[in-house]
Amino acid sequence: MIPYLLFATAFGLLLLGIHRKMIARIQRRPGPPVWQEILHALKFSFKSTWVPATASEVLFVSVVLIAIGIWTAAFFVLVTGGSLLIIFAIYMLHKIVEHGFGLSSGSPYGKFGGVRSVISAASEIPLFVSVSAVAIFTGSLQISDIIAYQAESGPLFFAIPLAALALYLVILSKFPSSPFAIVESKEIVSGYKTEHFGVWRAGLETCNGLKTYVLLLTFLSVFVGAIPFIGVLLAMILIVVSLAFVCALCPMLSPFDSVTIQTIITGIMLIYVLYLGAFG
Amino acid sequence: MKKKTAFRLMVVVAVVSGLALVLARAGTIPEWLYLAVLVAGFPLFVVFLGLWWMAREGDADIPFMGY
Repeated sequence: MIPYLLFATAFGLLLLGIHRKMIARIQRRPGPPVWQEILHALKFSFKSTWVPATASEVLFVSVVLIAIGIWTAAFFVLVTGGSLLIIFAIYMLHKIVEHGFGLSSGSPYGKFGGVRSVISAASEIPLFVSVSAVAIFTGSLQISDIIAYQAESGPLFFAIPLAALALYLVILSKFPSSPFAIVESKEIVSGYKTEHFGVWRAGLETCNGLKTYVLLLTFLSVFVGAIPFIGVLLAMILIVVSLAFVCALCPMLSPFDSVTIQTIITGIMLIYVLYLGAFG
Repeated sequence: MKKKTAFRLMVVVAVVSGLALVLARAGTIPEWLYLAVLVAGFPLFVVFLGLWWMAREGDADIPFMGY
């Protein structure tokens, strides 16, 4: 598990680097090398580090540990075929952690990012309703059961494409430069992570790498099923490339528009799930 | 935190995680306990590694509050 955990973190950072590179190439810029995010994590590790004078010291440091810890737990739940509900609970915890990041520093930009994190949670988390469509088909929310169901009946991606689209939107909203990335949009500098620099930012980068890997692996496990490991990695790259196209071509939405669009999609998903429940 | 302290704590976390791996492989402790040790240990390892590796410990500063 330890080598796989380290690999997942590094590969997640590499995926974020591929994402940045793809966005740059789509916008006809050279862009950074694909391993830029790994270099970022390393670079921040040997920067000068301190806690801002206005910060709540305990919260400022502990949110970094909690952020990495919860995604490590999510990773283990996922690879051991545990419950999908736990992964979603961890996703919700992450929104609280983002809020903690923002509020801990005493910086107004961090606070704005933290507040936006709560606003976006109100519209992102209901998107998980789509996964009840998975339960309707498989009769379980255990990832091992969902994978076993798909081994017999084929990928759920083809059976419930709208549910897959909803989870894709959740992943999209967690990617940098996404239309829904209101928690770290440029008008609030870096949002909730503005004042976390040096070693603290390196920890946050580690969390981001692991989070990216976990979210993409969740998507593949739930909607594609068991595929060879190299296939998983290639599929992750394909999803990241598709996300890069969306991020490069769509403008970042204002917080109000972001929440409105996600809420409308959640409404459509509710009708879809009710339809599946009644007639599926 | 002094770099020497961060290094010692990092080594302690690495040794405990390694020990948990060995004990789990030997069947002495259950798998979930090994994973729980990693959930607690991995964040600590990352942060202590960074604190040991960092350039220097700066003085606390007040963040930019806007114009």
